[in-house]
Amino acid sequence: MTSGPGVGIVVVSHSRALAMAALGLAGEMLHGRPVNIEVAAGLDEHTFGTDAVRVKEAIEKVDGPAGVVVLMDLGSAVLSAELALDLLDDPTARDRVVLSSAPIVEGLIVAAVAASGGASRAEVAAEARAALMGKAAHLSSPDDVVPHEQPAPRGEEVVGQFTVANQHGLHARPAARLVSEVGGLDATVSLTNLTTGVGPVPAGSLSRVATLGALLGHDVEVRASGPQAQEALEHLLALAARRFDESDDTSPVPAPDVSPAAAGPGGA
Amino acid sequence: MTDHATTAVLDAWVRRFAALVSENRDHLTELDAAIGDADHGSNLDRGMKAAVAALDELGPTSAGPLFSKVGMTLVSTVGGASGPLFGTLFLRMGTSFGDLDEASPEQLAAALRAGLEGVEARGKAQPGDKTMYDALAPAVDALDKAVGEGTGLGEGVTRARDAAIEGRDATMPLLARKGRASYLGERSVGHQDPGATSVALLLQAAVDTLA
Repeated sequence: MTSGPGVGIVVVSHSRALAMAALGLAGEMLHGRPVNIEVAAGLDEHTFGTDAVRVKEAIEKVDGPAGVVVLMDLGSAVLSAELALDLLDDPTARDRVVLSSAPIVEGLIVAAVAASGGASRAEVAAEARAALMGKAAHLSSPDDVVPHEQPAPRGEEVVGQFTVANQHGLHARPAARLVSEVGGLDATVSLTNLTTGVGPVPAGSLSRVATLGALLGHDVEVRASGPQAQEALEHLLALAARRFDESDDTSPVPAPDVSPAAAGPGGA
Repeated sequence: MTDHATTAVLDAWVRRFAALVSENRDHLTELDAAIGDADHGSNLDRGMKAAVAALDELGPTSAGPLFSKVGMTLVSTVGGASGPLFGTLFLRMGTSFGDLDEASPEQLAAALRAGLEGVEARGKAQPGDKTMYDALAPAVDALDKAVGEGTGLGEGVTRARDAAIEGRDATMPLLARKGRASYLGERSVGHQDPGATSVALLLQAAVDTLA
């Protein structure tokens, strides 16, 4: 986790309209949290193409101690971004810049959510790289989804459970809200979809939470450990009770289940 | 024994290249329509016109800043892959020339070699990928060889031009492995590469002005 301004993000696309639209989609996930994002796209509003000088300026605009993650569409966007690194005024800045191989739309969304939650440059880049996992998990059988490392619990765990009350399940926007809620706290939190058996996944990773496939009525187990474990659990359950602040949902919310002594090493 | 290219002559080279790109714009676009997205001619023409305008504004200067100005302008105005690629070519040449007011055949060969290495690092093309590299590498090799044999500037760039043309023609049967053309697979075979064609024009412009 980083303090101060978070990781900056630069979006490099042949099309300004495409980049701005992707930015708009990402903005929906941020729930008002500020993220440092600059667009370097198109030669102008109507002409397709990329300009390494503009990319360089965008990097410098969002650069800070936390560094920068650059997303690109394809072809000359990548060449321009690489050339931009050669053009940076501060030659040491390039060590703080990651050129991400992530897909531009999905990558920007998860990167923006991660950056808004205070994730480090490496974490934002890892999230972006894993951005296709949610879609892949949905489209393939659970056996095809490659298991990833789960952060080990930090000592005693508190455990709780909620039933998904969102009409459309824990889709991208409520998932992003969940991730943001957990991101700011000093706790290691994991989620398991008890109904389907998928998980545990780290609650701090939007791309991993997206693989839970948690639909309306599914039971999700929350396990938290670390200094703010109890707080994280309570925040998360309260958020679930509010349907993750999705305003267009009106279905009744089942009561959450908090059982701190139910499981985990060391007991209560 | 050796002749030098003054900044004025190098400037003339750039302008002659811009003129050739403009004259061949439709031809380049046609080549790119066959195996790309049909914008190489218009992109490079836009870029070189902007580069000439930038040189007009820059006024008298030395070799390094002249080529750097051309490179930076291409980077920002071409739009497609030729921007970073031809841009890097000219930028590296500019760095290589430095403050020179005139370039010897050796210095010209060194600058073009630096440019080639920049293009290679930027685009990561290998020989035979059907790219500008397939015309530029033989041209630079030919110039190095000529200079090593002690030929003058004129003979050197003439041999480089001939090698570029041969390299360009050799791209026709190749299967593209880089850029938009690579998405076409077998359909790219039998078409001349537009980037290599532009490189041949660059060397033709050199013959027209430096020889």
